Amino acid sequence: MDFIVAGFIKAIELLLYGDSSTWTAVWATIKVSTGSMVLSIGAGLPCGFLLGYFDFKGKKHLRTILDTMLALPTVFIGLAVYAFISRQGPLGELGLLFTLTGIAIGQTILAFPIVTAITASTIENIDHDLKLTLVSLGAGRRHIIATCLWEVRFGILAGAVTAYGRVLTEVGISMMVGGNIKYHTRTITTAIALETNKGQFADGIALGLVLITIAFIVNLSLSFLRKQ
Amino acid sequence: MTKKKLAYHLQDIHHYYGNTKVLDINDLKIEKGSITGLIGPNGSGKSTLLKLLAFARKPTRGHIFYKGNLELPFSPTVRSKVTLLTQKPYLLKRTVFENIAYGLKIRKDKTHLKERVKKALLNVGLDYQKFAHRKWHELSGGEAQRVAMAARLILKPEVLLLDEPIASVDTESAELIRKASLKARDNWGATLVIASHDLQWLYSISDKQLSIFKGNIFSTGMENIITGPFVKSDEKTNKKNLVKKLDDGQIITLKAPAPKTCTAIIRKKNISIALEKQPDNGILNQLSGHIVSMLLEKQTEHIMAFISIHDLSFVLRLTSDQISSLDLYPGKKVVLQFSSNDVEWL
Repeated sequence: MDFIVAGFIKAIELLLYGDSSTWTAVWATIKVSTGSMVLSIGAGLPCGFLLGYFDFKGKKHLRTILDTMLALPTVFIGLAVYAFISRQGPLGELGLLFTLTGIAIGQTILAFPIVTAITASTIENIDHDLKLTLVSLGAGRRHIIATCLWEVRFGILAGAVTAYGRVLTEVGISMMVGGNIKYHTRTITTAIALETNKGQFADGIALGLVLITIAFIVNLSLSFLRKQ
Repeated sequence: MTKKKLAYHLQDIHHYYGNTKVLDINDLKIEKGSITGLIGPNGSGKSTLLKLLAFARKPTRGHIFYKGNLELPFSPTVRSKVTLLTQKPYLLKRTVFENIAYGLKIRKDKTHLKERVKKALLNVGLDYQKFAHRKWHELSGGEAQRVAMAARLILKPEVLLLDEPIASVDTESAELIRKASLKARDNWGATLVIASHDLQWLYSISDKQLSIFKGNIFSTGMENIITGPFVKSDEKTNKKNLVKKLDDGQIITLKAPAPKTCTAIIRKKNISIALEKQPDNGILNQLSGHIVSMLLEKQTEHIMAFISIHDLSFVLRLTSDQISSLDLYPGKKVVLQFSSNDVEWL
């Protein structure tokens, strides 16, 4: 039990005194997760809207594929991305292996189905009277789409936060695609895995605390926005 | 009635939800500047008709002419002129001010916005200072209904369609909605079509009443509907007739329908009222019951009398002379008489 308490104390010291390896991992995590979220929201929001708002042939099959993608293991995504961006892979020339960009691509693949599926479900569950109300107030198609998205903004935000949580805490993609290179592609989760293996509990706990703090801040922001 | 004076002309409208026919209207005309009351039980097609009139849905078959022109949903001609207030109005997740100003904002009409919102709120009896900055979830059912009404009135629409506007509001709100609706007609000549179960309220506001049952419109207003089950008559002379036996022992005899029809309509014009049963002449149905309520038909000054015969409800349109001569009043025992041949089947 003592080593856990000692670990906590050392963790706070590491964070307060700006230990470079700890903070590099924190910044790497923030950079890749933010990048992947921007990409997945940018692509997932319109796709989710189209999937939720319109009825078309093959919609059910598309939803099945999307739902399957929700359960994709991160190591599988890591493997697939690795295969594509490794030297022998079709995108090997781009030199993305063992880079933060490579991790961000993998995490985008992880977050995209979550953002899309939750957006689609939120749009599908829109009150039927909303569209009727907007039509009866004279809204055209453009205004209907914009207002519908605004009306379900909290549902979509919740989807984005869920995806962010998944991206922030994944290990498989970061480890396989990033390679866990210190001061370069090491993220919070890969660092925690490594430090724990090495018996460096304090470093692991410090990074774990940062991870929980980030998740807390994100949820707090969502809660604040909801109150607004 | 000339074509120019018509707000709507519906021709051969058939509307289906899946395989179920919900509207079947051969010809319906609604005059410009009129207030039309729509009466009918739940599921009769009132809301669907209002949605078609609002151009929010396209009928499965048939044409809707608006001011003489064939129009379709999202047509710019009707989009900003026809507005519908649904039974459970949806308020946007914004403040009352934003909800009321929404329609004007999407029209890019922002002149004197605050003054107009203030006036719209006042029209429905809500104080600007108290309500403008309230959020959608900080309103009671009646307040939400009145805010939704204000959001439509501010647009000064040519047509205002109201679906059960007073279904969940108190008496005061119902009266305010009535006054605001009348103001819309009187101030800018709006045409109103209002569906409501509250007959007293509806008769107090509308110039004309249409009744709707199983998607069929009766332009003569409320008619008497008798639903099955019916059984074959035991009488040897009337084997082709159907009868409905009431639990109190009274029998309604009706001329047999076409196959597969099970709802009988007895037009109120074919029913007469008396105080006592007359000797049976073999044709008349004579049913005893009580007057339960009476309503004044504002335009014609006729009186609508609602008569309960066991578990059936009948309606009759009487003149004031008939009321006086028979000394009719709610609670009085009366006899309704009609021929078994005067039946239409749905």
